[in-house]
Amino acid sequence: MTALLTTGREQTRARYPDEEGFAERDGVRLFWERYGDGEPTVLLPPTWEIVHARFWKAQIPYLARHTRVVTFDPRGNGRSDRPDGFEAYARREFAADALAVLDATGVDRAVVVSWCDMGESLLLAAEHPERVAGLVFIGPPMSDREPDQGHYPFDSDPGTDEGWAKETRGYWLRDWPGYLEFFFAMCFTEPHSTKQVEDCVGWAKDTDMETILAGFRGWETKIIPPAEVAALGRRVRCPVLVIHGTEDAQSEAWRGEELARLLGGRLVLLEGAGHAPHARDPVKVNGLVADFAGVAGNGTAPATRTWTRALRRPKRALYLSSPIGLGHARRDLAIARELRARVPGLEIDWLAQDPVTRVLEAEGERIHPASAWLANESTHIERESAEHDLHAFQAIRRMDEILVANFMVFHDVVREQPYDLWVGDEAWELDYFLHENPEEKRAAYVWLTDFVGWLPMPDGGEREAFLTADYNAEMIEHIARFPRLRDRAVFVGNPGDIVPDRFGPGLPAIRDWVEDHYDFAGYVTGFDPAGLGDREELRRDLGYRPDERVCVVTVGGSGVGGHLLRKVIAAYPEARRRVPGLRMVVVAGPRIDPASLPSADGLEVHPYVHGLYRHLAACDLAVVQGGLTTCMELTAARRPFLYFPLAHHFEQNFHVAHRLGRYNAGRRMEFATATPEVVADAIATEIGREVDYRPVETDGASRAAALIAELL
Amino acid sequence: MTAVQAPVSAARSAPEQTRARYPDAKGYVERDGVRLFWERYGDGDTTVLLLPTWSIVHSRHWKAQIPYLARHFRVLTFDGRGNGRSDRPAGAGAYDDEQYVADAVAVLDATSTREAVLIGLSRGGRWAVELAAARPERVLGAMLIDPAISFMAPLPQRQAFSFDEELDTTEGWAKFNRHYWRREYRDFLEFFASEAFSESHSTKQIEDFVGWGLETGPETLTLTQLGAQPASRSEMEATLGRVRCPVLVVHGEDDQVRLHAVGAAAAELTGGQLVTIEGGGHCPQARHPVQINLLIREFVESLGGMAR
Repeated sequence: MTALLTTGREQTRARYPDEEGFAERDGVRLFWERYGDGEPTVLLPPTWEIVHARFWKAQIPYLARHTRVVTFDPRGNGRSDRPDGFEAYARREFAADALAVLDATGVDRAVVVSWCDMGESLLLAAEHPERVAGLVFIGPPMSDREPDQGHYPFDSDPGTDEGWAKETRGYWLRDWPGYLEFFFAMCFTEPHSTKQVEDCVGWAKDTDMETILAGFRGWETKIIPPAEVAALGRRVRCPVLVIHGTEDAQSEAWRGEELARLLGGRLVLLEGAGHAPHARDPVKVNGLVADFAGVAGNGTAPATRTWTRALRRPKRALYLSSPIGLGHARRDLAIARELRARVPGLEIDWLAQDPVTRVLEAEGERIHPASAWLANESTHIERESAEHDLHAFQAIRRMDEILVANFMVFHDVVREQPYDLWVGDEAWELDYFLHENPEEKRAAYVWLTDFVGWLPMPDGGEREAFLTADYNAEMIEHIARFPRLRDRAVFVGNPGDIVPDRFGPGLPAIRDWVEDHYDFAGYVTGFDPAGLGDREELRRDLGYRPDERVCVVTVGGSGVGGHLLRKVIAAYPEARRRVPGLRMVVVAGPRIDPASLPSADGLEVHPYVHGLYRHLAACDLAVVQGGLTTCMELTAARRPFLYFPLAHHFEQNFHVAHRLGRYNAGRRMEFATATPEVVADAIATEIGREVDYRPVETDGASRAAALIAELL
Repeated sequence: MTAVQAPVSAARSAPEQTRARYPDAKGYVERDGVRLFWERYGDGDTTVLLLPTWSIVHSRHWKAQIPYLARHFRVLTFDGRGNGRSDRPAGAGAYDDEQYVADAVAVLDATSTREAVLIGLSRGGRWAVELAAARPERVLGAMLIDPAISFMAPLPQRQAFSFDEELDTTEGWAKFNRHYWRREYRDFLEFFASEAFSESHSTKQIEDFVGWGLETGPETLTLTQLGAQPASRSEMEATLGRVRCPVLVVHGEDDQVRLHAVGAAAAELTGGQLVTIEGGGHCPQARHPVQINLLIREFVESLGGMAR
């Protein structure tokens, strides 16, 4: 695999700095950021200039919730200057930069957490002990015994381009991207690390080879020499923690062991981990750092706490409902209602975010206050989308920082408050990081989803096929290794709804595997079509006259659908000519401003509409995106509809389309080729049509609740 | 002062049950002729002094804490004067608060302990406050468990019986009466223990409590009660206000002996943290040992700042 998927555009952060600025030292400007407040300050300095401050992205949001965090870009990368000359990149300069940043941010004293520290943090702690309250070294390459020399002299010609031969001036000049990929693959020796490697390569490309080359003449000149390590080490007085992966292929674990011994510090070995565990095992490293710095323990505990005797506790569930779209919220509410009926006295807290919280609040549900700390996923999804185009797989991949930040919120919540049960409806952060950190499981856990399997889009080529298969393989390995972590895995649907594909080359057929590992609840509509009563009455209730033809246009809750709304609105004049008395009701949803849409006579534009399913059940035609929930609501209500899957959205294009095909429901449209005339024609053809859909079960919520209630 | 030597063979119903951990060192310290029996477990960097409480029981009331804490810290216990292997001096004056506080300092001195984290239950919580206020250089932090600190909140209404006078009833808290103790000491112990352990399913804790209570007797216990004459409200508030070390108060919401409001007020006046044990009674260290052990460890570690 050589093609990289770095887009060059920074992905959505889970948290943005509260303050940023430049510190200037000897004419070199250093870009710093401050997040959060409180004591002690945690300084996350850069390593060498191959990456910049973003490589702390999995730590910042968590630590900043508990204390003040300061980062800065190294000279030579990010938004810091790129001074000239080899001497400008000496470790002593980096140590002085850290000091300058502490001064610029008004920090007297900090806990310094370093990755691959080549001596700068050691210099800082030894020469400025009053400024360093504690030192954490992650994967340090320093040693007081022997220098880290690299495999070939940097200026030699090894006569091959294989392996570490890439770490030579000659190869750098020939194939700098090739070196970066190799170098970071050696940082992440753990399987399934594609995203971490891509991130690092991307950050390396935020500077250029010439800058790196200016400061590099081989590791033995980059890292401070053994005698200096020994001399400085004797002067360090503060507490020290060394974290080292046993499979670190950049810096052998004995280096960390010996550094811990030299400094009288504690050592935590992460077995099986590589050179950058803060990126690959962020939950574990976050916990170690927070414990060491004392930032997430008693020091920040609220002044009053309550612990309830076990037998005194009401049964309590924590429900995580995916905020991407509104569909999960509706079905989760239905399941929660059924669950309460089966388990009297059950209390349910929701860890949820906008727009799910709007639905929950309207229903009087209890939203856990820590929900306010969740980084917003919908905002990220909107940023990832183009005109009716959302690469769902990459969008979720590029949400890794948000996912770990939100898992850490969950982690803090369940340490504070015991629950009998956790339910995660497509709560990716919960399911993924629980399997990565299975010791964090402390309640019964139910996983719900309506699709299984990341599938590549054809135009993603070989690389995307490889990545989706790798993600599927990791999930399959997770479940095989920890089969009891999910106490229940509930598929919202039936075996026939599962796509006929495989998880990837050499991997199981999705349907076989899902049938082995899931229970099936049937579809959960979130409402009972029979409960809507007589359709004529419903239309009267909603103000739709019997003789008018009502077309409802909606794009769900995610805010990605503005382009579709505009396209359908553009088709309205022609459609109205073809369908006399056509009334078009456009629902912008909670995240699109209705005022941003064009208006026309006979056209109504509404913001969020509570109980939208009633309008869908009453209409003569609906025009929607390819999201599962809305399409299935229309299928259950037996209304004709046009659906436009988002381009590059594997779930809408494959999983949902397959399921709708099985129900013989809806007419699939392609956004790219649908001119207003095509849309108007489809509206005219489909409106009011009698349908022969396969009936949708109405007991899905009850069946799901029955599966879950057994755990309570 | 004349002290009565501790009985060699205490009037306990059965030999002491097997301990999970036995002390690494033990001894007596004598102060003004009164011998106090102490034990040391473990030898961590930080010392945790588990204070005695009312001498209705002795240091075994920490039995669920010692083995765990000793794996992490240096743990000291001693039997309060009036029970266990410590002496039973004569006269109520030998049992006032100052004596217990001075005893604690004597044990720190005897074990060469410069400073310690104090953990005190009920009256022990009060002594922890007094010691922290009087000798701040010896105290790293104070954890008060269901502290008995007068004036912070009223006593429960039903405790309003005279201790000294003969009563015409023996129901409920009327048993908290020196005359009744002399007649029906064991019945009083059982009553008091059942009030202290208001949680259901507490038979073993109650039996332990009664057993330790039987290792002293009604005469000595009467002296401890007469000696425990509270200072004034303003003095108590002033003492609480003088505490400078970190304070953690843990109090059972259903404490029938000292109301939860006492702990809440103590936390407020010392600027300490408050942990409420919902459904918990007066002796959570025995009834909810895991939670208390974890809270103690967390508290002690928080005092060291960064864990080493």
